[in-house]
Amino acid sequence: MNSLDKVLKALQDKFGAGITGHASPLPTRLFINIKAEMVREISNEVVTLGGRYLVGIGHDNIARDGNIGMIHTFGFDKDNFIVHLNAAVPGSNPVMPSITPDIPGAGWSEREYQDLLGMKFEGHPKPKRLVVADDWPADIFPMRKEVPYNMVPPAAEDVAYQLDECPEGCSIIPVGPFHTALHEPEHFAVYVDGETIKGCDYRGFMTHRGIEKLCESQVSYNEVPFIAERICGICGSVHATAYSQAVEMAGGIPVPKRAEYIRSLLLEIERLHSHLLWLGVAGHLIGFDTVFMQSWRVRENIMWLSERITGNRKTYGMVIVGGVRRDITPVIGEDILKVCAKVEEEVKIIHKSITGDTALHKRTKGVGYLSKEEAIKWSLVGPVARARGIDIDVRRDHPYAAYSELQFNVPVVDTCDVWGTLVVRLLEIYESISLIRQIIAKMPKGEILTELSEEIPSLKHGISVVEAPRGESVHFVITGEENRPDRWRVRAPTYPNLQAIPAMLLNDQFADFPIIVGSIDPCFSCTDRVEVVSVTSGKKRIMSKSEIEFISRGNR
Amino acid sequence: MWLTSKIKQVLMVIKPGVVTLNYPFEKRPVPENFRGAPYWDHEKCIGCGGCANHCPARTILIRDICQEIRVMVYDGSRCTYCGRCADVCPEKAITMTDRYELATDDRQDLNESMELFMLTCQRCGRCYDMENVNMIDRMDLQGYRYDNIEARAFIRKTTDRFDPEMLKKTADYKRPSKIGE
Repeated sequence: MNSLDKVLKALQDKFGAGITGHASPLPTRLFINIKAEMVREISNEVVTLGGRYLVGIGHDNIARDGNIGMIHTFGFDKDNFIVHLNAAVPGSNPVMPSITPDIPGAGWSEREYQDLLGMKFEGHPKPKRLVVADDWPADIFPMRKEVPYNMVPPAAEDVAYQLDECPEGCSIIPVGPFHTALHEPEHFAVYVDGETIKGCDYRGFMTHRGIEKLCESQVSYNEVPFIAERICGICGSVHATAYSQAVEMAGGIPVPKRAEYIRSLLLEIERLHSHLLWLGVAGHLIGFDTVFMQSWRVRENIMWLSERITGNRKTYGMVIVGGVRRDITPVIGEDILKVCAKVEEEVKIIHKSITGDTALHKRTKGVGYLSKEEAIKWSLVGPVARARGIDIDVRRDHPYAAYSELQFNVPVVDTCDVWGTLVVRLLEIYESISLIRQIIAKMPKGEILTELSEEIPSLKHGISVVEAPRGESVHFVITGEENRPDRWRVRAPTYPNLQAIPAMLLNDQFADFPIIVGSIDPCFSCTDRVEVVSVTSGKKRIMSKSEIEFISRGNR
Repeated sequence: MWLTSKIKQVLMVIKPGVVTLNYPFEKRPVPENFRGAPYWDHEKCIGCGGCANHCPARTILIRDICQEIRVMVYDGSRCTYCGRCADVCPEKAITMTDRYELATDDRQDLNESMELFMLTCQRCGRCYDMENVNMIDRMDLQGYRYDNIEARAFIRKTTDRFDPEMLKKTADYKRPSKIGE
């Protein structure tokens, strides 16, 4: 009996009637239908058995059976499988117990469906708005199918987010929505006692533009990867790959081996550039601009390499459902190896010259401390988790693309602070270079794209996890009838990491705020699911609303 | 410790020297496969509309103003230069050029439009078999299209016979405004 069956049996023995059905279309996936009122007990049991909370997915099924579904997903990293707990509540009264009191990482997922689908979660500790704007009408739930994708409700005045109560004796320092320490618009209210941070409230999703809704109502399967790629300006290929893999899993579409290798290659190139970018930004945030200049200089080689491979510095546009669009020719292969050798040499120089720098140590060691237990509780992912001694990496734990055939180490340190995340990322750069070399050496010959001969069947579920540079991205797809997904859920790695920021900030100095937030490599736009807008410097000028409307839309 | 790492840092900075490019006075040549502004060859285009169906940004619009004339518009102001149109074009009428300095103060500069004379198919009026075997790609192919070019609106509905009523209905398409305005 393998461990997937063991988990199923343990749940069936304990809850009996609470489990109404199960399916296992792949040996690595277990779908369990459960009764909504038992979701809290069953989720707790899954976590006790070794599950790590991934994401919650709400979907509107009212037109078919009158229900709204909520799926909680858990990854079993040691045994390589994912468990879905699929609960449904009637659309007329969508109330179900909250699992957040025991699994804090689920807090945002539940708040999200409170906003988007009108669900209610009993016992949620912080049932505030998360996704929709403060002036969005309370009775319109945008992810419900009857709401058109382009609806524009009227704006309301005099509504504002109610911040959490400030602890006694503390003052509030607002950071954002526009602030030099943040590269994207988000609002942190930091409660400080003198210089020490005593708490923090977060109001984000200011750039939420409803990409999921757009893709569920307008475009077709093969257009979504290009939109998915624009969710994030740094790890675009990750989202396109994750989406395509989810559709391929749901539709049972085979992917040629060569395409899988090319996907892995793109993901590793992306990791290289992203880690160098982070290193630069982190240096910049603590005022160490030499690192910023030098790591970005090295990174430029990778950007130019991507331009030669894919035709663009970023937004590679390579991945579509069933394979990739462009092949790697032998000439390009040699080019890649040459660039890798150069980058490796340069990174070694940077590595040696900064690891001994005492200024860097003083700014990062012991800063943003979060214990391993806390980190597991908040289900942190990526380098942020690996810096806290949690040995997870979905490339190894849930292998996808070509990773099952490649050898690599997963660097883990247990300093539990910002310094750890820096070390982990530096070491991962070397691993990525080694992976790229293996991929070029082992890449098999053959097709790069599967041509589909049949329509993708509807109402199949697919989930894929992909290790982005900053953690794992989870994409969940329910296939639809009109050549497009019926439901597509994206969970970017910043989503769980950002939830733990208040815990990381606790009892640190306010001056360390930028680097602590920076240490998770936050990508607010991924979290809000829109494209990244780069910040360009310029003279200050306040623009009127009509001016802004004019530059974005023109006179229509 | 502090001093040695500072010395190492100085060496790290001195060795590569100045790397800033002298742009815009000297342009770096673009690579062979660069995805710049797309170029339409009106002599090769057969008006099948494959590009319009695959454009993720809905940049290419098609309006059949009568049975014989099809108007195609490329609105470069919202193009993402993914190059999907060039991929799917069965006649290779679209190529991704090496042009990338496209900033302009008039968005009309970025547009391209074509009016194509369409022959009527004896069997069905209008059909395309583009040797395209991919099911996802095939699903959107047939029929007449009525996108509103003035409003730059992609109308998803297609018909298999030319439908003057539909044409009239889509002529005054309006973008959604705020409820109550």
